[in-house]
Amino acid sequence: MRGKKGMEFGFAWIFAIVVGAIIIFLAIYSSSRIINVDRNVQDTEIGREIGILLSPVETNLEDAEKTAIILPGGMRIFNECDSLGSFGSQDISVSVKSGIGSKWQEPGIPSTFHNKYIFSESTIEGKRLEVIAKPFEMPFKVADVIIVIGEKDYCFVNPPRYVEEEIMSLSIDKINMTSGKGECKSGSVKVCFSGSDCDIDVALNPVNDKSGSVKRKFVDGVHFEGEALLYGAIFADPGIYECQVKRLMQRTSELAGLYLEKSEYLTQKNCGSSLLQPDLIQYSKQTLSVENSFELAQVESSAQEIRRKNENLDCELF
Amino acid sequence: MKTLIASYSKGQIKIQQMAFVLVALMIFLALVALIYISFRVENIKGDVEDLGDQEARELARKLSGTPEFAFTAEDCSDCIDLDKVLVLKERKTYKDFWNLDYLQVERVYPKGDGECTKANYPNCGTITIIDDEVWTPAQAFVSLCRWEDSKGGYFRCELGRIYASGDLGNG
Repeated sequence: MRGKKGMEFGFAWIFAIVVGAIIIFLAIYSSSRIINVDRNVQDTEIGREIGILLSPVETNLEDAEKTAIILPGGMRIFNECDSLGSFGSQDISVSVKSGIGSKWQEPGIPSTFHNKYIFSESTIEGKRLEVIAKPFEMPFKVADVIIVIGEKDYCFVNPPRYVEEEIMSLSIDKINMTSGKGECKSGSVKVCFSGSDCDIDVALNPVNDKSGSVKRKFVDGVHFEGEALLYGAIFADPGIYECQVKRLMQRTSELAGLYLEKSEYLTQKNCGSSLLQPDLIQYSKQTLSVENSFELAQVESSAQEIRRKNENLDCELF
Repeated sequence: MKTLIASYSKGQIKIQQMAFVLVALMIFLALVALIYISFRVENIKGDVEDLGDQEARELARKLSGTPEFAFTAEDCSDCIDLDKVLVLKERKTYKDFWNLDYLQVERVYPKGDGECTKANYPNCGTITIIDDEVWTPAQAFVSLCRWEDSKGGYFRCELGRIYASGDLGNG
């Protein structure tokens, strides 16, 4: 044994190695947890901020408003809709591209809004979002329909004149208009207003071109009434569209109730609108029971009747 | 009488030293973590308050355009239908609708006194729609329009103000 220098590997070493490993593991684990929580907080805050940024876009007396939201690179926005409750809810959550591990980190806690109606795909990606707000009226203004377009380009083939004029006046970069499908940019989503076999086919009602149906390839179609919902049906996933339509009808029902109470109150003040009261009661029930967009045609006919009666009042209710 | 003297080897003393150092290190790390977490929680609370305020400010500016408030009998931007707001006050379904914890409409000129009810309206000062908790509210000047049944009946508009503050617990 003489001349052989061995390292003493006693209890002290084993203890130090085990405890050291535990400390290093705890340090790595807790720092990664802290980073994850911080990212989650950041994503949640961004989600809320995006919702807040959409408020100034809403319309007062205007026909439509457009704005753009520039996002820092690598961000996904998740649009979720829920029709439960008196008004349903709109959830927005955000996920940021990650440099470490999986490409996209888990989205932050969704921010909930009850007074917003965002029509878009369920996942929106892109550095520049085009946001269009259009008032939805049936027969009174119900809400602003907010359409969010991500990085996809759209090509409208033979749109009706009112769509053409609106898109030109709003100068929406992501929508091109052509007279033939072949003229569309490659990679763009083709939306045909006359004809079929496009990515999205719009069938306009021959009597009223602000009503009709929108059909995507391999997916069930949806029905729309009015300009705001036409854009909503084109740019939103069918599931989101149907949910938002149901929410819009819930709010219409509440507003009909509000106008009914206002009418009852003003009737005592020589501002008579009692003629409308039975229609408003019926309308409130009808809109609350809407389950899908194909029932909108009947709602629109009731709305037209109420609009006509309101216009004939000496003291208009809305 | 026997005296017992505990004798430790050099190795045992080292282990004890190391254990004490490790315990001290763990306590130190726990303290650092606690300070960090409390600091972060305070920051997040501040951020949430800021976002709530920001939302309330935007809403106060835009509320006159929402269907529940907008005066639509005539074309008038930033006009509020006070008759509708009086009715809205009694509808509980709207309590959580705007993510606000305080929402009030005040008549600025001519000045009115007291909270409005159907009994004293329009000779009153304020209509409080949501009254959960008052933070520093955002405010915006608006026109308050209502039906006046004197002189054969007409729409009368007066100067008013909206107060709104954000809901910290929602969304």
